[in-house]
Amino acid sequence: MIAPEADVLVSLKKLSKVYRMGVQDVVAIGGIDLDIRQGEYVAIMGHSGSGKSTLLNILGCLDRPTGGRYMLGGEDVSVMNDDALSEIRNRRIGFIFQSFNLIHGLSIEENIEVPLFYQGVRRSVRRQRSTELARLVGLGGRLGHRPRELSGGQQQRVAIARALANEPLVLLADEPTGNLDSNTTNEILRLFEELHSAGRTIIMVTHEIDVAEHAHRTVRMADGAIADDTPTARARA
Amino acid sequence: MKAIYKVTDIVRLGVFSLLVHKVRSMLTALGIIFGVWSVIAMLAISQGASYESQISLRRLGSDNIIIGSVKPPEDAMAAESGALHYGLTHQDVARMRDNIPGVLRAVVIHSTPKLAYAGGANQHQVTVLATEPGFAGVARARMKEGRFINSLDMLRRASVCVVTDSLADKVFGHGSPMGKTVRLSGMAFVVIGVLDRLPGKLTGGPADAGDYVLIPHTTEQMRFGDMTVVQSQGSEVFERVEVSTAILQMVDEQAVVNGAAIARGMLERSRRQVDYQITVPLEEIEQRKRQMEIWSYVLMAIALVSLVVGGIGIMNIMLAGVTERTREIGIRRALGAKRRDIVVQFLVEAMTLTTAGGLAGILVGLVVPWAVENTLKFKTIVTTQTLVLPFVVAVAVGLISGLYPAMRAARLDPIHALRHE
Repeated sequence: MIAPEADVLVSLKKLSKVYRMGVQDVVAIGGIDLDIRQGEYVAIMGHSGSGKSTLLNILGCLDRPTGGRYMLGGEDVSVMNDDALSEIRNRRIGFIFQSFNLIHGLSIEENIEVPLFYQGVRRSVRRQRSTELARLVGLGGRLGHRPRELSGGQQQRVAIARALANEPLVLLADEPTGNLDSNTTNEILRLFEELHSAGRTIIMVTHEIDVAEHAHRTVRMADGAIADDTPTARARA
Repeated sequence: MKAIYKVTDIVRLGVFSLLVHKVRSMLTALGIIFGVWSVIAMLAISQGASYESQISLRRLGSDNIIIGSVKPPEDAMAAESGALHYGLTHQDVARMRDNIPGVLRAVVIHSTPKLAYAGGANQHQVTVLATEPGFAGVARARMKEGRFINSLDMLRRASVCVVTDSLADKVFGHGSPMGKTVRLSGMAFVVIGVLDRLPGKLTGGPADAGDYVLIPHTTEQMRFGDMTVVQSQGSEVFERVEVSTAILQMVDEQAVVNGAAIARGMLERSRRQVDYQITVPLEEIEQRKRQMEIWSYVLMAIALVSLVVGGIGIMNIMLAGVTERTREIGIRRALGAKRRDIVVQFLVEAMTLTTAGGLAGILVGLVVPWAVENTLKFKTIVTTQTLVLPFVVAVAVGLISGLYPAMRAARLDPIHALRHE
């Protein structure tokens, strides 16, 4: 990876995560180095238990490494306390989940506004922004509906709009198409492609090769280590 | 500014999630409503009762020491020339008046049952109170008409009398009795004044007696002497009592307390038998007050228990809410909610429930004493304190019972919370 330091958005140095199960230590991630530059579209692949989800959780500041260093946008995230991490999640990261994770009691627009809510953004400004975002992800006039009234694909669009609400440095997607049929999968992937073209940095965890192929770089993990790090066919093309 | 938007939004969020679970919220608030109104109602009723009983005792005068003559058991009595001689003497009263510090004045009453006749067909059973001018002040008697016995009446041994209002109505019917004549054992007395009811205990008569004729003490001694004839089992028994009741009016409450002790000591030494009874309204008032206090504490404890039960209900619903919404908490944390944001959200829910319940409880708590007063005719007293105290306790209970679930919700690890089904 030969790139000017300024371009590097995510930088992992000897990053490790060890769980203590009783007296035994279980290594989920065993000291990996990884740099991801601004604007990259990266797929992280691996079998279950390979450490890819743990990695994504650490990248998303939902979990903390037990060793090594994680720099996000020039800030050392690995030493931050809970409040500071909340702040980072709130302002720097957009998270997209396999099961959408929308709040059922809230309407679509309220769901999109949640990150802004915790930023303390004024209600009228939030409303304006959620309307724009809904249009961006292709959700027209369904803003007042509840998540359960939408199809899976539509729910994932809401989740993507929510992830974009805080203008994040990086979009993290955990098996974003895992609960969707092939048609909607393609729609969501097309949306990711558009966001990537618009300059977004996307890191996506998946175990499906044809999904991963939409990314421009694939990081393959096995037993808590990076086994392979290559540009995809699409990137070479 | 941002913080303010955030706080109002979180408050709105808390209220909103209560509305989502309407029934559950209502049931929880019900616990608080019951707790609050029952505390208010119990305090109102017990304070009303305590007020009533204190008023009736205060009418006896909290600055008085009342010493009444009491007929001792028959066998303990020495029969003196066919007459039973017992009770206080003028000498006793004078000694007490002169030796007890802080006596403002001493008033003696000699009471005898007599028949009164004022024309017409009927005679009336009355109690004749032979007393002195100071009585009106000591008894806090109010004149309805005319004047009380004065020192000139005493000096002249005038044949004048003051009657109570209830007697005046019975004997003279409508119209003013002023200037009319009442015959007592055949002797004529001119009515110079009409009194309101007198407290029975003060006069040595039956507690509920209202029919009194008051005459100058000097006049009685001249006309009737101090012998009382009592019909007992067919034979006539003569009783001789010099003073039926002596009232010592004291300068202040401290003097009442000390004076009562001294009077007890003096009488114990001077009287050969226990033919007297000392009543200190102040002591009774204090005692009644203490009883009422204990009673109101008991009531309050019962009511507070129901408040606590309401609080446990709130804690229960909040804990259930935390478990049910673990996933939501995880999502919010993943999207940037800090621990304290979660705490505030759940606390706001608990506080909203208790505040709303508390306010509703105050409303019911105002209605219930009002209904009790109007249907059961119990005196009730609702003060600001009795309204505020249960409300404050209710909100505190809500705060405490909401805090634990809120802290638990906030402590959840975001990853685990997100995986929760």
